Amino acid sequence: MVRVLIVDDEAPARDKLRRWVGAQGDFEVAGEAADGLAAAAAIESLKPDVVFLDIQMPGLSGLEVAAQLESDAAPLLVFVTAFDEHAIRAFDLNAVDYLLKPYDRDRLEKSLQRLRERRGAAQLGSAVRAARAQTRSSERLLVPRGEQLELIEASAIHWLEADDNYVHVHTAGAKYLVRRTLADLLEQLGERFVRIHKSTAVNLAEVASLAPLFKGDHEVRLRGGAVLRLSRRFKDELFARMPR
Amino acid sequence: MSRALYWLWAVFWLLMIAVAVQDKISDPYIKWWEPYLWEGSSCIVATLWLVLQQRAAGGWDRYLTQPLKWFGLHLAWLPVLALTFITSVYAARHGIYALAGRSYHHPSWPFVFMYETVKLTLFMGLWLAIIFGLKSFTLWKQERERLLQMQKHLAESQLAQLKAQLQPHFLFNALNTISALMQSDVARADRLLTRLADLLRASLTVGSRHQTSLRDEWKLLELYASIMQERFAGRVTLTWHASDEALNASIPAMLLQPLLENAYKHGVEKSSQPVAIRVEAERAGDELYVRIHNSGAWPGVQGSGIGLRNCRERLALVYGERAKLEVVPVSDGVTASVTLPYEQS
Repeated sequence: MVRVLIVDDEAPARDKLRRWVGAQGDFEVAGEAADGLAAAAAIESLKPDVVFLDIQMPGLSGLEVAAQLESDAAPLLVFVTAFDEHAIRAFDLNAVDYLLKPYDRDRLEKSLQRLRERRGAAQLGSAVRAARAQTRSSERLLVPRGEQLELIEASAIHWLEADDNYVHVHTAGAKYLVRRTLADLLEQLGERFVRIHKSTAVNLAEVASLAPLFKGDHEVRLRGGAVLRLSRRFKDELFARMPR
Repeated sequence: MSRALYWLWAVFWLLMIAVAVQDKISDPYIKWWEPYLWEGSSCIVATLWLVLQQRAAGGWDRYLTQPLKWFGLHLAWLPVLALTFITSVYAARHGIYALAGRSYHHPSWPFVFMYETVKLTLFMGLWLAIIFGLKSFTLWKQERERLLQMQKHLAESQLAQLKAQLQPHFLFNALNTISALMQSDVARADRLLTRLADLLRASLTVGSRHQTSLRDEWKLLELYASIMQERFAGRVTLTWHASDEALNASIPAMLLQPLLENAYKHGVEKSSQPVAIRVEAERAGDELYVRIHNSGAWPGVQGSGIGLRNCRERLALVYGERAKLEVVPVSDGVTASVTLPYEQS
């Protein structure tokens, strides 16, 4: 069974999708969400195979939710929108699935058929990347805080520390545990961060000083007080990008 | 324009000097420098007057459309010009001749004044005509440019007006709601479809009808709100308040719908919390006040959209300075308020 999450802020729109998707033999509706944050939380907890994601929503838009997903491990996404010329052009360019409102049963069937074909095939993460390109996803990061999710400013992050399939996100006053890979997080957050070790990346603006250690390694001190190790593999890139 | 004038002026004086030099070159009683002095002294004093005209007479440009007045104002200065010109030019010539140890011979003073004044009048007339021509040309070019700009602006705002009536985003979403309701409640879907058609019809007839009663506009707002109610059931509470007197007022058709649409777009669609929308109209003396208020945070951008600009332009077209539209944050949300002259419809 393909497990589907339905995200739309309008109840009638959710009802329609639930009725039609539920009528398929091989799809089942695993849950529904009525806004962006609830959608992100539901994706995290329900781990659906497919998400029908409305774009216009209060709080986080559908594109912003998608931008915060791990690009290679995200569920299959189908964006749903009434009118969004800009986004649709990007979807067409990147072969991202979308449904235009209003749609009839035939169009939904086509969309579901494409999902069946896409399942199992190598996922390209193109939906997430297209969403990142259209939102200010390098400025904000969605992190769990207790039971809730919240957005923090990327500029407030001091450094990132990989830990298996998780990343510890360090800010001035708090540490968050995000279920993402460091590489994907760096891809989302962009130029602001630079890797200094296989499992560590720092916010360039937070670097206070560098001191050489043995064998070409360095010690990196952050303004916040943290002392980290710069491995020689990443030395050149950091030096090239340090502001003079 | 003054650059072209000065070039023309320079060419004119070079010609004058060349002619004078050519004329006397074979005269054995005239030294080579004398024609230069005669024309040169005239040239310098005349140039001073030209510069003065260019600097000081700009204020008279507003009379370019009344040539008689423009020329009259300039020619009134002719006596002053003639007197200063003749005395200074002749003084300079006498002085330089004396320095060269010679004396400057010319006809009697009354003749000099007569002769020079006639010559000055002719030249002044010529040059005023040239200046007038150049200035009029510049003015004409500016006017044409402004007219083109105005036409372009007008066309744009008319286009914007057509586009702003009903947002495609609203239409497609309403259609989707109908498509969703159709599956569960045919009667409700049918009702919604009819309302949408009514709204569409009303927005299409705006072009032919400029003024409407607030009562009719009010119905349109209620229609719009009832469609949105189907989409956002439970997320919006609406209150309506208008006095009978206010409802009888005449207002530009479809003026208020974009304002209510804004309240939904920025208030309801962006908020997960329930939003309260209040629509009020009242008459106070000679004025009609309409206020559309929505609770929630001030999004910062509200007030600059195409819909609002459109409303402002329409108000300005119909009422000029007597009407205004403001969108301001208040303690518990955002209020769009329209003030316009009260006219019975």
